[in-house]
Amino acid sequence: MIIPILRLGKILLTSIQQELTDADVLQLQSDLLRKVSEIEALGVIIDITALEVVDSFMARVINDTAGMARLLGAEIVICGVQPYVAMSLVEMGRDLIGADCVFNLDQGLKLLEARIAVRGDAILSLEGDEYARNDRP
Amino acid sequence: MNMREMIDPERVLIRDSTDIVRARAVARQVANQIGFTLADQTRLATAVSELTRNIVQYAGEGVCEIADASGEEEIRLRIIVEDNGPGIDDIDRAMKDGYSTGGGLGVGLPGTRRLMDDFAIESSPGCTRVSIALVRRRV
Amino acid sequence: MTTNSLAPIANLLQQHRVAICDEWLNDIMRIWEHSHAGLVDKEEVSRQANDFLKELAVFFNSHSGEAPAEISTNSPFGKIACELSIERAKKGFKPADTAQYIITLKNVLTRHFLRTYSETPVDLALYLRVMNDMLDRISLLTFEMYVETRERIIAQQSLSLSELSTPIILLWNNVLLLPLVGVIDTVRARQFTERLLEAITRYEANVTIIDVTGVPVFDTSVARHFMKVIDAAQLLGSRIVMTGISPEGAQTLTKLGINFSNIISRATLRSGLAEALLLVGRRIELIGGVRP
Repeated sequence: MIIPILRLGKILLTSIQQELTDADVLQLQSDLLRKVSEIEALGVIIDITALEVVDSFMARVINDTAGMARLLGAEIVICGVQPYVAMSLVEMGRDLIGADCVFNLDQGLKLLEARIAVRGDAILSLEGDEYARNDRP
Repeated sequence: MNMREMIDPERVLIRDSTDIVRARAVARQVANQIGFTLADQTRLATAVSELTRNIVQYAGEGVCEIADASGEEEIRLRIIVEDNGPGIDDIDRAMKDGYSTGGGLGVGLPGTRRLMDDFAIESSPGCTRVSIALVRRRV
Repeated sequence: MTTNSLAPIANLLQQHRVAICDEWLNDIMRIWEHSHAGLVDKEEVSRQANDFLKELAVFFNSHSGEAPAEISTNSPFGKIACELSIERAKKGFKPADTAQYIITLKNVLTRHFLRTYSETPVDLALYLRVMNDMLDRISLLTFEMYVETRERIIAQQSLSLSELSTPIILLWNNVLLLPLVGVIDTVRARQFTERLLEAITRYEANVTIIDVTGVPVFDTSVARHFMKVIDAAQLLGSRIVMTGISPEGAQTLTKLGINFSNIISRATLRSGLAEALLLVGRRIELIGGVRP
């Protein structure tokens, strides 16, 4: 199954709309990272509003993806964690998800924009970036 | 006196990661039928996810049995996850946080125990059996 | 050839019922009026005592005394005993006061037996043994029923308490308040945590104030619950402002290794409110003068 990754300027947006198998999750991770690197994304939002279960494997993949995206230079935000998912996660163990969480896409975008605005490379998200990797010969 | 209808135990064969998704959907559905809250349904689905993933990762094949074991005073969902894999060498260590031989976070078993009210594990080469239950008083 | 060796007891109970009943009532009322003045209805007690003695006579008439009688909650005795002890438990009698009821009857009957059968010591010994055995077991039954009733009352009370004791208040747009009052146990903590997390998601509350001024005991299990709530709220996208933590509470939370990076704590609800509003970009301002 292919999960769409949308682009909003220098921000990437992906929304998980159904229960994923382990293989699907790992596929999403590598797709997302490739795309981050491709467009030199400054921010990533992962929307998990539709996920009714997040187990320790899923939590690890989300955490890893956040860490990897940071290494590629992007800020990352998770949005839409369901109340019972949060509850189960903290009952299983603290700090299973280390990334920043917000309620919805709107807040996610605002948070990312605020973070990006104070970065040195913020200018890239304002100007057209003719040197992005995918444009290179 | 007791007008409840018992739900027949559900058995889900676990062979690959799509079965994990199936097993937890069944657990959630049964939990919903016998009256667990959404929060508890999520706890059960998460626990099933952890245990069945262990099967896929370490044993290759196994069975997850989900049964309504409610009584007059309480609702109780009992889940038994069983496989014929190599077994767990050191159960005490496997029950500690942060111990993993499969590259996971190492919270699968201890985390599941924290989510559930009852938790029992027995393992020997050729047979690993984890039995869990969630119990709530009837209101 | 007597068909029933205990029939004399039944006869005695029938012939002297009025006297026995009076003595019994006098004795028991003396004890109860001392400790439960106003709680006992003399006529009601008198009716119950009469019923009880009638059943006792019926029992000895039909019983040989060879095998111990089965006294269950379904037998006529059982029913009377249940009725008695349930009523006593509801009225708040102490267990000892409830037990006194049967013990008093035993004393009265013993007196009557001694007076009536002093000529025939062998019979007397048998009657005393059978009567004692019988009343002891009734006594046990009443005691059991008493405890059961009390337990049920306690369970009901704790259920209704937990339902009414934790409101979740929308204080301002995107700001929730959970004022906690009273002792927090695992069941209650689970309930309010689930309801709070639901409310946070529903109102998209960026800030949630948890006021613990009214929580008398802040032990490790309570502290652990709070740490879970704080972590879970953060996963949803909300920040928790704790207010009113006692010095003991602060010690417990620190010993448990609370993560200070995601907790805001203020001494009082007043300053917590100001802080919460600031976090959602608002402020309470002096406008000068007092509104009429």
